[in-house]
Amino acid sequence: MQGFSDGGAGADLALLQSTMHTIEVACSSIQMHINPTAAEATILSLSQSPQPYKACQYILENSQVANARFQAAAAIQDAAIREWGFLSIEDRRSLISFCLCFVMQHASLLEGYVQAKVSSVAAQLMKRGWLDFTAAEKEAFFYQVNQAILGAHGVDVQFIGVHFLESLVSEFSPSTSSAMGLPREFHEQCRTSLELNYLKTFYCWARDAALSVTNKIIESDAAIPEVKVCTAALCLMLLILNWEFRHDANSMKAGINVFSAGVRHDNASSKRSECVLVQPGPAWCDALISNGHVGWLLGLYAALRQKFSREGYWLDCPIAVSARKLIVQFCSLTGTIFPSDNGKMQENHLLQLLSGILQWIDPPGAVSKAIEEGKSESEMLDGCRALLSIATVTTPFVFDQLLKSIRPFGTLTLLSTLMCEVVKVLMTNNTDEETWSWEARDILLDTWTILLVPMDGNGGDALLPPEGKHAAANLFSMIVESELKVASASVANDDVDSDYLQASISAMDERLSSYALIARAAVDVTIPLLTGLFSECVAQLHQGRGIMDPTETLEELYSLLLITGHVLADEGDGETPLVPTAIQTHFADIVEAENHPVVILSGSIIRFAEQSMDQEMRVTVFSPRLMEAVIWFLARWSHTYLMPLEEANCHLSHDYEHQRQSIHSRKALLSFFGEHNQGQIVLNIIVHISMMTLMSYPGEKDLQGLTCHHLLHTLVRRKNICHRLVSMDSWRDLANAFTNEKSFFLLSSANQRSLAQTLVLSASGLRNSEASNRYVRGLMVHMTTYLVELSNKNDLKSVSQQPDIIMSVSCLLERLRGAASAAEPRTQRSIYEMGISVMNPVLILLEVYKHESAVVYLLLKFIVDWVDGQISYLEAQETASVIDFCMRLLQLYSSQNIGKISVSLSSTLLSEAKTEKYKDLRALLQLLSSLCSKDLVDFSSDSIEVAGTNISQVVYFGLHIVTPLISLELLKYPKLCHDYFSLLSHILEVYPETLAQLNSEAFAHILGTLDFGLHHQDAEVVNMCLGALRALASYHYREMCAGKTGLGSHAAGQGNLPEGIFSRFLRSLLQLLLFEDYSPDLVGAAADALLPLILCEQGLYQRLGNELIERQANSTLKSRLANALHSLTSSNHLSSTLDRVNYQRFRKNLNSFLIEVRGFLRTM
Amino acid sequence: MSDEEHHFESKADAGASKTYPQQAGTIRKNGYIVIKNRPCKVVEVSTSKTGKHGHAKCHFVGIDIFTAKKLEDIVPSSHNCDVPHVNRTDYQLIDISEDGFVSLLTESGGTKDDLRLPTDDNLLTQIKDGFAEGKDLVVSVMSAMGEEQICALKDIGPK
Repeated sequence: MQGFSDGGAGADLALLQSTMHTIEVACSSIQMHINPTAAEATILSLSQSPQPYKACQYILENSQVANARFQAAAAIQDAAIREWGFLSIEDRRSLISFCLCFVMQHASLLEGYVQAKVSSVAAQLMKRGWLDFTAAEKEAFFYQVNQAILGAHGVDVQFIGVHFLESLVSEFSPSTSSAMGLPREFHEQCRTSLELNYLKTFYCWARDAALSVTNKIIESDAAIPEVKVCTAALCLMLLILNWEFRHDANSMKAGINVFSAGVRHDNASSKRSECVLVQPGPAWCDALISNGHVGWLLGLYAALRQKFSREGYWLDCPIAVSARKLIVQFCSLTGTIFPSDNGKMQENHLLQLLSGILQWIDPPGAVSKAIEEGKSESEMLDGCRALLSIATVTTPFVFDQLLKSIRPFGTLTLLSTLMCEVVKVLMTNNTDEETWSWEARDILLDTWTILLVPMDGNGGDALLPPEGKHAAANLFSMIVESELKVASASVANDDVDSDYLQASISAMDERLSSYALIARAAVDVTIPLLTGLFSECVAQLHQGRGIMDPTETLEELYSLLLITGHVLADEGDGETPLVPTAIQTHFADIVEAENHPVVILSGSIIRFAEQSMDQEMRVTVFSPRLMEAVIWFLARWSHTYLMPLEEANCHLSHDYEHQRQSIHSRKALLSFFGEHNQGQIVLNIIVHISMMTLMSYPGEKDLQGLTCHHLLHTLVRRKNICHRLVSMDSWRDLANAFTNEKSFFLLSSANQRSLAQTLVLSASGLRNSEASNRYVRGLMVHMTTYLVELSNKNDLKSVSQQPDIIMSVSCLLERLRGAASAAEPRTQRSIYEMGISVMNPVLILLEVYKHESAVVYLLLKFIVDWVDGQISYLEAQETASVIDFCMRLLQLYSSQNIGKISVSLSSTLLSEAKTEKYKDLRALLQLLSSLCSKDLVDFSSDSIEVAGTNISQVVYFGLHIVTPLISLELLKYPKLCHDYFSLLSHILEVYPETLAQLNSEAFAHILGTLDFGLHHQDAEVVNMCLGALRALASYHYREMCAGKTGLGSHAAGQGNLPEGIFSRFLRSLLQLLLFEDYSPDLVGAAADALLPLILCEQGLYQRLGNELIERQANSTLKSRLANALHSLTSSNHLSSTLDRVNYQRFRKNLNSFLIEVRGFLRTM
Repeated sequence: MSDEEHHFESKADAGASKTYPQQAGTIRKNGYIVIKNRPCKVVEVSTSKTGKHGHAKCHFVGIDIFTAKKLEDIVPSSHNCDVPHVNRTDYQLIDISEDGFVSLLTESGGTKDDLRLPTDDNLLTQIKDGFAEGKDLVVSVMSAMGEEQICALKDIGPK
């Protein structure tokens, strides 16, 4: 393809014409799908050719094909960004002003998308040169824009002017900017400069433009062209208010304000919210607040509302939508823009907005009725969003007060009635489709959450005024009613898609925690309400037993248990949750623990759960699903209430006076289920119920999973409970059943593992380490004995393949693995002995089951977990034997798998086999990593070198055995790839000398994978490979400097690889850096790898550099490249040492080198 | 519970039974199962409930280990399924006869001559080429429910 360059000064008309023609033909052939690849290549060659500007300008001005003009604009953009570095200042300026003038001149004629493209090109070039242009040069551009916006050249040009600013602002905003191959600092500087010097001016221009057309719009009856300008101006204002303001000069000083004012300031942003806070700082006060701007905006929208019945306007017309969005955005205004007057001004501001918004949502009943009858819901939803924004910037108290000055009730009451209305609609038309009421409910629920979530970090709840509490209680009872109704209605449709179910469960969880916040705002009403509903449901069940289908009631109970669990207790998230403050501090008048509403509610649920022990009740009432809810509730509840630690010493809260009043009732509540009261009885019940679910619900994996992972696991996490457990008969029964009972062998593998882990962990409740170890030995001895006996059988080979034996072996291995992962310092001894006793059986079984991939995987995983738990505690001698064992294991595994070809007729089975292999290898890599960690974390009394163990040797052998199994095909599994490269980079960094000892085949293989990793898509993998390369090269360089051989023959190259490895990597790294795509974040790591590579191979580097320069035909570029290469290695006082300072200097050099040359190198 | 002590012991005689009963809930992915009287490898297990408050049932997708046909089954998870006894034996390859049968060396020193060459092209060429090159080849023979097939190959290298 011929180039489209201007060909010097004498570019003649005919050439331009033919270029235009070619592009036009290409564009139309793309549209008609005639040979699109060739057409795309034609268009691409325009933007890739050097200095295509004249041709592009010619096309823009003369072509009749809109697409061709669009492509010409795109070509200007690409070429100019690429060649920016060597365009003259004059050229740069003229390109921008060409684009600007072009859009303005053709304002009324151009297609919308061409217009948008040309102004975005202008905006992008403006940003590219932002730091180079003088203030006067920028002023000249902006003068032109301002004239346009003022409306001097008509409505169309006015629109273009506003639109250009929109492109410019979004180009400067970090989230929407284009990278342009420049470092982050550049974008950051541009951002700051625009924010400090121009943003407010732009806002005022947009405002003035909107103001100038407001009257015309309000006065006219039909749609007029001015509406377009006004819409664009509103959009621009919204965009500017969405700017993430950083340079609020006074925000530091204004910090004092935070403590006194009723309105929240900067610290409010720590609150969980998707709402963006608008905090432009005090300088914006005059532009946004003090000049009646908000009044104008509300007035404009109110006027628009009147017109909705007329032609050209409707509820969702662009100008109405933009105006509403802007109003909502104003609700989020906060921070130092408001003077420190105790929040007076902000309150007035919010009140003004609220009174405008009120018409959108009030009265709720009428609004929702209108929507159900077909009115658009968008205004109402925006009203909800506005409430959310207001809630984000105020305290609950201020929020509630806002409405009081214009209505007889507070904002909370309005919020509550509004949401009740929404919930009612949800309840009546209950479909799976996401309707407006779903969306409204979610927004309003977020609003409640924002208001009610404890915000001061020490658990203090937001206290609502009495009227607000009443509103919350009303709403909660409405919510519960609707949830129960939805639950009982859902019984009919059981065709649930499991994926969809999973997603909706997590959404449901979030919703339930918001419900819980509302309930806790009025605990004194809501907890008795829940108790009442619960006993009602239970009574219904008992009455209807055997007479009617209980399914609906079961489903109601299910929901009720979930809701109650959320209200009473918090999710632990790995910590022990406290009793929610609202529950702790209320009920101050309750003295008798038995009468405490929380005790009554908990008690009735526990008594209900206990009924499941009865065989007949279980069959008729306790369906697996209901039992799941029961177990879930028990787990969540017991984590908070069962034998709480703080029972004896209540923690001190900041509000001491309040504390004294309620201390009595709190103590009553906390101690009721404490160790010395009902705690032990309840714990006993829980253990019995757990054992029952494991034995009497065969095959119910979900239920048993909840019991093992959730309930039992929760119990043994607390030491005081463990202490009780180990002395209880029921717990002993559970342990016995676990080792002997047949039904326990039918549990799923994950549950086996978790149960073994739980039982071993409970040993921490015993008096001392000896007793704990004895306990664990007693628990595990049956299992290890069985494996030892089995492996000693003469007919093992035939017996082992029987399905029932395979099943028992898998089962036992899962249990051993569970026990191994529960190793704690206290039980380390017995777990160690457990592993040692099955070492030989493991090897024998690995041999017998070599075709049984599932068993092989279990064997490997058990060893991985066992070694991982033990390695740091082992003494030298023990370490040596463990390492010896691991090596035998690795060798055995590799001898079974190298050179093996499995074939199957089915592609599913083949890919299955590949996945299995991947999992095995991943386990082996984890094993090697654990062994490596012995060098870093070691708790043993003597150094491992005493016994002659050298970890680097182990790793060396390990690599020899494992790497041949790792094919490039397998590295396509992301997790394996990640594990492999992190191990590799670790090994190369810590033991580079082992690599030198590898034989050439293994060495070549490792380097092959490294090369593969360098070109991986995952930036983290590339990063690790670069780290490995750096380690390797710097090791070699240091050794060479010290007069040693370093990597010796590997570095020099041998046999079929005439080139040494460092030469190879130097080439491929330079190739990558200069010509390929990569994330800019990698430049630092690449610099760290490149420096030692250059030092190792200085001769080659010189040669490569010269080649690069020679290849350059253009003499200007040639000299630029030569200079850049020169300064890469010489500027910043770069020396030939490998210390931190030098690495840093080189990073800087490489960064500027790439900015300088990558642009033109990549396109030539 | 003392008479439960030795329940790990297989109750059936080795080799006598072709299948064993096992609870559906304990059959895992990558395990084996008999579906429609064919031995299958399980490639997918999912559980669901019969109605909201009913009991769990398992949905198995299996691949016939000899014919590679896909088969499916749904079983209540507390019921028993048949699990085939799948055996794999390694033999050294002695000869390939013209009529497509192979001659294998058994552990006891005898020969086993009743197996055909596999139908899979890849494996077939590997065996033929390897044999022609004079490599020492070990083949794995998979047997279950009265059927046998060569399923894998390993080169133990010319010594």
